Amino acid sequence: MKQLLIIISFSFTVFSCQREDPLHVDDIPGLGGDTWVKTPLDQWLYDSITIPYNISIKYKWDQFELEINKTLVPPMEEKIIPAMRSLKKVWIEPYITEAGRVFFNKYSPKFFILAGSANWNIDGSVTLGTADDGRKVMLYELNEFRNKSMPGYTSADTGVLKQMFWVMEHEFTHILDQNVRRPVEFDAISAGFYTSDWINTSTMEARRDGVISAYALSRNYEDFAEMVSIMLTEGKSGFDAIVNSITETSIRGTTPEVAKARLRQKEQLVVNYFKDAWNIDFYSLQTRKRQAIVEEMY
Amino acid sequence: MKKMRKKNKILLIIALVIAAVSCKKEEYIFDQSPDERLNETLAGYQAALTSSPAGWKAVLQPALGGAYNFFFQFNNDNRVFMFADIDTATAHTKRESSYRLKALQQPSLIFDTYSYLHILADPDGSKNGGINGVGLASDFEFAFQSASEDSIVLIGRQNKTKLKLEKATQEELDAWQNGTWLNILNFLNIQKIEHYFKRLSLGGATYEIEVDPVSRLIKFQWISGGSLQTLTTGYFLNSQGLMLETPVVNGSQTIDRLAGFSWNNVTKTLQLTAAGTTGNITGATAPLRADTQAPRRWWQEGVTQDSYWYSRNGFRSSSSPDLFNMRSLNRYYYLVYWPVYGENGENDLFGPVFINSAEDGLELLYGAAPDIPTFTADGRIVFDNLGFYGPYPSTGPAYQSLQQLLIPEGYYLVQTASGYDMVSAADARTWISWVPTW
Repeated sequence: MKQLLIIISFSFTVFSCQREDPLHVDDIPGLGGDTWVKTPLDQWLYDSITIPYNISIKYKWDQFELEINKTLVPPMEEKIIPAMRSLKKVWIEPYITEAGRVFFNKYSPKFFILAGSANWNIDGSVTLGTADDGRKVMLYELNEFRNKSMPGYTSADTGVLKQMFWVMEHEFTHILDQNVRRPVEFDAISAGFYTSDWINTSTMEARRDGVISAYALSRNYEDFAEMVSIMLTEGKSGFDAIVNSITETSIRGTTPEVAKARLRQKEQLVVNYFKDAWNIDFYSLQTRKRQAIVEEMY
Repeated sequence: MKKMRKKNKILLIIALVIAAVSCKKEEYIFDQSPDERLNETLAGYQAALTSSPAGWKAVLQPALGGAYNFFFQFNNDNRVFMFADIDTATAHTKRESSYRLKALQQPSLIFDTYSYLHILADPDGSKNGGINGVGLASDFEFAFQSASEDSIVLIGRQNKTKLKLEKATQEELDAWQNGTWLNILNFLNIQKIEHYFKRLSLGGATYEIEVDPVSRLIKFQWISGGSLQTLTTGYFLNSQGLMLETPVVNGSQTIDRLAGFSWNNVTKTLQLTAAGTTGNITGATAPLRADTQAPRRWWQEGVTQDSYWYSRNGFRSSSSPDLFNMRSLNRYYYLVYWPVYGENGENDLFGPVFINSAEDGLELLYGAAPDIPTFTADGRIVFDNLGFYGPYPSTGPAYQSLQQLLIPEGYYLVQTASGYDMVSAADARTWISWVPTW
């Protein structure tokens, strides 16, 4: 019995030597994020994007924020301010003018990761932007960014610009959709057309079925995001031109009249959704956005 | 009773083991905690990087070939200044970008914004001559391997390329700043020579030269004892010039490096020094010795395979990869030559192939029907057109390509790694690269 007591007291001493000062923490390198000596670029991003819009921009290389199995490179420092200025002008400011800062700062994605190159897929295609859960957005191909104000700008550069705006509108629409669901009538219009085989469909073929793009064929909520992003980046007349370009019957037998009617129906539901859910005049927003894009590009 | 004691003993042992294990937590083999040691290591590397007053030199060998010289200067504000011998701009313009040290699985040095290092790693093949999606399989995130007073050894984290930084001298820094390297990179002007064939005249000897700047390979051809000699060797650049990995030995003349480059943009002549004398590289209108059987081999191979040769861009020149703007044709896919196309074997086929309107296959909208070509004794192939399939255009890219094909002088054929280059025998300023479909 005595021995048992010894053992018990022994165990206590054993456990007591685990106790340590709970306030002492080692200086763990990298805890709390990477640090570096701030440059004017960091200051600009902080003053112009982070403070007014509550958005953090990560431009320094961090493979773990991107896809670790891909070959990518970080952006050129000199491209970041022009690209962010364009984004601010085209994506942020029109929303703030139409719907207010509280609306925008509440729903905008909070974390941007920038990469210099495109994200090349195994099939040879490239991804120019992706998003995670409405919080983090990855923008690629910043090194190819050129707008009207930069030397050497040609009309071929509009592709990269437009893609960036399109990615932002697309991802932002998902966030809005997740907060106030898109109208159920929208899903019904092209029900039965959504397919995982969208990748083998051309844009024109999708439109002949009354679906705005090949990617929009993938799912109803992608269709919704594609409708909004294409309507905003192309503008009213650009969207009308797309609708009017449908002149042939699709492989699945949709006539041009039916395809056009479907797109018009979706357009109306998008406009109604922005009014009912967010009290935003969609056409006014569209005009502002298109105007900003034109100023950036032409 | 005895049994009871045994049980106590076991308990005692267990307690002791627990005591031993639980107390070990507080004991480090080293004096400091792992985090303290890691911080110290990172601080040590930081101090090492900034310790060389004239910066660091290094040679980087991307996984897909070539060896590139770099120069780095690091400061304590996460900024790095760089030169590289990739092209004339990188060899002369000091570029500033950022870096940081980070504890990943190992202490690592990350070049975290775009710099000359990233050109080699860029997945856009047009930036570095590599493969789309991979580039040259190079690195810009490195793990520290070791550091001594004069060198720091780094290993790339993604592609395992090795980067050994060695302390540079002031003279080595000056070589970048005062244009010594730029002069060496002037060698790349060889690509501005308008002729397909490039001829080096050096102290009475003549060589045909072909350079692949991406793989950093150079090919010499010369005639010795009446027969054609060929040497293909890797090369690298250093502050002394372009160094051949295997020297050219031609009788008493030995070429182990090319240096002292000077480019004349009017005469399109590259002057250089080699083998102790001054020489010139200029364009030539014909090969040093034509491969006289190549035209027939090229044509016959298509006949044997019962298929065609194709070229994505069509005819080209040194400055224009798509001389007649073939790619501007709507739905254009490639330009083809099909030896013996007709049912009776009377003619060949030449013309552009298009993507069909359903976008699920290729189609031929029109084509020219050249006669079976003439093969000359001096190694040329000459084409003559018999007629057309469909409405062949009378203007535009397809028309211009056909007119080019039918030049009376014909073409030399040069066998390459991927197929054949067909070079105008009129002036060697226009050529087309044929790739087999089989």
